[in-house]
Amino acid sequence: MVSLLGLEKSFAPGQGVFGVDLEVAEGEVLALLGPSGSGKSTLLNLVAGLLFPDRGRILLGGREVTRWPPERRGVAYVFQDLGLWPHLTALEHLLLVMPRPDPKEALGLLERVGLGGLEGRRPQELSGGQRQRVALARALARRPQVILMDEPYSALDPVLRERLRLEVRALLKETGVTAIHVTHDPEEAMLLGDRVGVMSKGRLLEVDTPRRLYREPRTLAAFLAFGRANLLPEDGHLLAFRYEEVHLGGPLEALVLERREVRGEVLCRVRLPQGEAWVRLEGSPGERVRLGLAQIRRFPMEELS
Amino acid sequence: MSRSRLPGLVALMALAGVLALPLLALLSRALGHLAEAGEAWDVALNSLALSTLGTLLTLGLGLALGWAALLGGVGRSLEGLLLLGYFIPPFVTGMGVLFSMELLGLRLPGALAILLAWTLHYTPLAYVLLKPALGNLLPSLRVARVHGVLGGKRVRVLFPPLLPALLAVGGALYLALLGNFGVPAVLGLPDRVYVLPTLAYARLTSPVSPDPLGEASALGLLLGLLALPALLLHRPPQVEALGEGFTIPYPVSRLLFGAYALLALLLAGMGLLKEALFNPYTGSLQPAFSEALAMPLVRQGLLHSFLLAMAASLATLLLALLLRPFPGAFRALRGLFDLYYLLPGTLLGLGLILLLAPTPLYATVWILLLAYLLNFASLAFRALEAGARVEAQVAAARVHGLSPFRAWLRVGFPLLRPQALGGFLVIFPLALSEITLSALLYAPGAETIGVAVLGALNGGLYREAAAIGLLLALVGTLPLLARRGPW
Repeated sequence: MVSLLGLEKSFAPGQGVFGVDLEVAEGEVLALLGPSGSGKSTLLNLVAGLLFPDRGRILLGGREVTRWPPERRGVAYVFQDLGLWPHLTALEHLLLVMPRPDPKEALGLLERVGLGGLEGRRPQELSGGQRQRVALARALARRPQVILMDEPYSALDPVLRERLRLEVRALLKETGVTAIHVTHDPEEAMLLGDRVGVMSKGRLLEVDTPRRLYREPRTLAAFLAFGRANLLPEDGHLLAFRYEEVHLGGPLEALVLERREVRGEVLCRVRLPQGEAWVRLEGSPGERVRLGLAQIRRFPMEELS
Repeated sequence: MSRSRLPGLVALMALAGVLALPLLALLSRALGHLAEAGEAWDVALNSLALSTLGTLLTLGLGLALGWAALLGGVGRSLEGLLLLGYFIPPFVTGMGVLFSMELLGLRLPGALAILLAWTLHYTPLAYVLLKPALGNLLPSLRVARVHGVLGGKRVRVLFPPLLPALLAVGGALYLALLGNFGVPAVLGLPDRVYVLPTLAYARLTSPVSPDPLGEASALGLLLGLLALPALLLHRPPQVEALGEGFTIPYPVSRLLFGAYALLALLLAGMGLLKEALFNPYTGSLQPAFSEALAMPLVRQGLLHSFLLAMAASLATLLLALLLRPFPGAFRALRGLFDLYYLLPGTLLGLGLILLLAPTPLYATVWILLLAYLLNFASLAFRALEAGARVEAQVAAARVHGLSPFRAWLRVGFPLLRPQALGGFLVIFPLALSEITLSALLYAPGAETIGVAVLGALNGGLYREAAAIGLLLALVGTLPLLARRGPW
């Protein structure tokens, strides 16, 4: 459905996106994960046609759209600030973007996203979550080939964010629309994406299923992108393991320094021969334990720069 | 440069050349007469001294009021009271000072009276322009207080970030004072205190001058030279403050702010009200509005000014609106029009006379309209530039399938409605009470209300002049309505 081939867009040395190749299948939800300034939003703007690439090609539904204006591409976009129009009601938002405006269908869509009875309200008369739903309904009303979502939940409180992202995932799957979802939150990426792409410094480093990317990242940046990460120097390399990738009864001697409980999970800060690390295990400060690593990864020291 | 952009650039440069013609005409005529300027150098010095003093006064008071507002947390109504002073046209403020001094039995020399009227009129502008920069100091001020940096020591924290704003606002005020014609015409001419705009006007209308236009042009050039440093330093003032207000306001600051606003309004309005509403001999209530409106010159002036102001505000806003989807052309034209707004109006007036004197446009109402369009277009462009987020909303519409035309029609232009209305409410009253260009360009039968009021004042019809001044002051408060948008 979406094919990006050797896509490049440079704003200044080191700023932009460089050599991005990506395939997103029809009906797939791809989450793009990366820190601020990694090029995620630029990539979305290139797909939307709000920016034109310096090099490379963009294909949507098999047709090359690289130089097409945004209105011809058949995409929809849920912007970070939602981009709602303050002078239009929720219903008018949908009617304006529908290929064949149908009030009945628009009302049905609003009902489906939980906005039944609120069709006459303007954005400023709606709550944050309701605005989010208007933006999503507008995107769906366009009947797009692909929906682009740029950190749409970042302004919401945690409870609403968690509820909405699960609802949105269900809705995307129900409608079967292809989606590219940009986020810097690893939990959100794993929750929403059929696959996750990790971006760093304008490059798309890896694309894989959330499970495989979390467990078997090929690059240090991808390993770090998901958090819960320990890095310890060892023989000129970096020994990398996650909090839960340890077990009691191994060859490593460790002293428990601190114990914290987060969301029902006990985490301890321990001192190992190579340095300090956070691990998921039961222990008390001052206790000496022996640990083993369930998964051993080593990355070259240079990747840290 | 891409080939598709070339025609646009050529058209823009050609337009810039046409728009610059009045100034070029002035320059070429003035150069030959600069040596004969004679007493003009003294008047130039006078202009420079008065404008500089006035700038320092208004800037100082504006800063003090801004500081008081920052600490005192003044509300919209108190702020509105202060702003009223700015919305009264400057020459009406001049008349107000004249009549108020008379009422108080005081006789101020011309230069002092001019400075007082300028201070009353332009201090609110200094306050408004400095307010955002002061608002941005709040976080630093809060941190300073928490860490015990108080009194004079705060200057080290607060002054350096404020300096660019002080320079920019000072430059804008200096330009406004230097080019102001109305106040010196009302308060300076009777006392034979001249500044460059009033001397240029006097030379132009002098029956004894061998080459009135040449002499006036030389004065215009001097005025331009005095304006140049401030023009070069000019940068658009910041419009929005990022900081938040203090949670615990100081009532004394609020009191001082309110006291100044009230005093300024009284000084400008008291004499005007007395003159316009009460019989000078019996002291009984006898408004002079009907007598004023019965004067043919006033009626004609009102009609011309109304039509000119309406046409100028609507045409400039329409032009700005139509160019809004093309950011490059919009910015370039705004830059050109800014020049005419910032430069003293005398330069534009004289330039247009020189350029159009051989054409049938000269001595008609059309030359006035052209002058108004060139002078006020900058305000229309500034008003519509304010809706910066419109681009993002239009982009959102285009991503969702609307063509560029439809996206602007359904999303962009409707979102700019509040800005357009705000622009109209600012431009219309300014154009209605315009006097600098009108005094230079009017022809018999094409007088404006400003010219009619000045004529009434010079003819000793003080009550009628005050009554019309009062009406213009009321219309002048229209922009206060623009301070609250629908979204």
